[in-house]
Amino acid sequence: MSSRIKNRQRRDFLRGSLTMIPAITLGSGVTLTAQAAEPAPNLSDYQPAFFSDEEWSFLLAACDRLIPGESEGKGPGALDTNVPVFIDRQMDSPYGHAERWYMQGPFVLDGSPDLGFQYPYTPRDVYQKGIAMTQAYCQQQYGKRFETLDNDTRDTVLKALEANDIDFASLGESQKLEASEFFASLLENTKEGYLADPIHGGNKNMAAWKMVGFPGARASYRDWVDQHNVDYPLGPVSLTGERG
Amino acid sequence: MASQASQASQAFSADDDTVERGAYLARAGDCVACHSTEDGKSFAGGLAIESPFGTIYSTNITPDKEHGIGNYTEAEFAAALREGKRADGANLYPAMPYPSYARLTDDDVHALYTYFMEGVAPVADNAPETDLSFPFNQRWGITAWNWLFADADTFTPDTSADAKIERGRYLVEGLGHCGSCHTPRGLAQQEKGLDDGSDSYLSGADLNDWWAPSLRGGDGGDGRGIEGWSAPEIAEYLKTGRNVHATVGGEMTSVVAHSTSHLTDEDLTGIALYLKSLPANPAGEKATTSDQRREASEKTDAHLTAAKDLSEGERLYLDNCSACHLNDGKGAERVFPAIDGNSLVNADNPTGLIHTILAGATPPATPAIPAQLPMPGFGWRLSDDEVATLATFVRGAWGNDGDAVTADQVDKVRKTLKPSALNRAPDANGSLNHEDRDTQ
Repeated sequence: MSSRIKNRQRRDFLRGSLTMIPAITLGSGVTLTAQAAEPAPNLSDYQPAFFSDEEWSFLLAACDRLIPGESEGKGPGALDTNVPVFIDRQMDSPYGHAERWYMQGPFVLDGSPDLGFQYPYTPRDVYQKGIAMTQAYCQQQYGKRFETLDNDTRDTVLKALEANDIDFASLGESQKLEASEFFASLLENTKEGYLADPIHGGNKNMAAWKMVGFPGARASYRDWVDQHNVDYPLGPVSLTGERG
Repeated sequence: MASQASQASQAFSADDDTVERGAYLARAGDCVACHSTEDGKSFAGGLAIESPFGTIYSTNITPDKEHGIGNYTEAEFAAALREGKRADGANLYPAMPYPSYARLTDDDVHALYTYFMEGVAPVADNAPETDLSFPFNQRWGITAWNWLFADADTFTPDTSADAKIERGRYLVEGLGHCGSCHTPRGLAQQEKGLDDGSDSYLSGADLNDWWAPSLRGGDGGDGRGIEGWSAPEIAEYLKTGRNVHATVGGEMTSVVAHSTSHLTDEDLTGIALYLKSLPANPAGEKATTSDQRREASEKTDAHLTAAKDLSEGERLYLDNCSACHLNDGKGAERVFPAIDGNSLVNADNPTGLIHTILAGATPPATPAIPAQLPMPGFGWRLSDDEVATLATFVRGAWGNDGDAVTADQVDKVRKTLKPSALNRAPDANGSLNHEDRDTQ
């Protein structure tokens, strides 16, 4: 539970810094919501392009534990902000296909971390294998799929992944992909989807930016260099032109 | 073909200086702009020129004997240039600026003829035939038009005037044919004035919906536009496509790229001094003073900088434009053009401004400034309503006084856009956009 408390504290800190910035005030109470050409989809309507339905259920359940929604945290959660959509879209990007990585051997697992990623797997492979083995573990341990476990048990499983306490090799992993590697990718991508520009599919309605008070991609803040001790009055703007 | 070319060069006894001078004059006349297509060979013609009467195709003016003008005598060449007469006696359409070229001296016509016969490679391609509908396909009708409107004489310098200004006048009235775009046209599409004897001459005109601003740079007006530019600033604009006030856009981009950026500093100075010698359009009743404009500019600047109680137009400007054009609307000298006081922004017809917001703009690569830092298009990012709101704001902000823009106007312009790298949404999936760069 300590990690949840830490997360809570972190979010409280982020929210705390937000309270110093008054709620976004706009002239004559006009809501300046942009008419984005393609509004962000509802998560429930979204058809994943890469993940299978079963993998998708895992991803939703896992992201929901990494950044829980309003009921548990005090800010928007990963599911409120379409983080799984971000991850699904990334799987079809050059990143998902490891297009720009050196993917030939030798793969030196005991080398220095400077050598970088050392598996013959693309991020797509890491997700597919990681999810399959985590599900196999949950079946073995609890006789259930991950997404049907209660929240505390899901957290236990995720922590075991993070601590590398789940032995992927015994679950059939041949290339020595470790549970902690999979967890690290999942956590990293979840954070990215939460905080990246909505143009990439996550951070729906710039909710994460609004929570932390980040003003987004306004390209230049030169006019604020000389304005000391003045609250920044503008809401965020996305690369898509969406305004908040 | 090779033997013909060598015969031609023998006949002209290889006068390199004359060929070179002719090449320079062809630059000054910007012949290549109309007599070539974007991907075609120089001077082989075929460019579709939209006119109020239909599409006119430019002709092949390479020295090819069959497809070009290789059989033209110098006298026939001169008649085409100055009177709009084809070698077979038919009239050229006045898309060819012969009413302006009529000013050319015999000496310059000779140099141009020599260049086109000796310095230009013959191209054996047929340019498409112009095929206007009745009555505009009746070329004989142009004879009357010519009698009425194309009456300029060969240029004779006024020896009592400043020689530099006279040189500029010759270039502006003649080869430069600046009036073709910058002089308003009358009912018969004739330019209302072919020289500074007319107050309409170079007083600004709508060119296919883009505003070609007044070039009358002297005193007596409201002090905006070119009236506020010094002669060196005008020369710099023509040489590089940029100066402290503006960056070239629209059709003028090609003029700077192909023509004016290749002219000598002396000629550009002459042109600039001549334009500054033309009395400005008289200030209208609603004209603002420069003090009023300065005050209004400071007000907008301060309001945008405080960023409180913003209208939607102001917010759109801050979110999309101000990083480059800045809160003071002045941009950055020679890099980001000023919006405050910009003639395109303030034009009665907002089409040019809307087009620039939607599709972006790329300045020309000139010998003096080869770099082309483009403005991206915002069409993929802003809706018609948003563009209208933004355009309305910039037309009324600072010292500007343009009318409001409607979403319908934006929609009309949007429908004319061709897809380009500048108005496409970035690929959020991480492509490095190599293709985009290739197609720019």
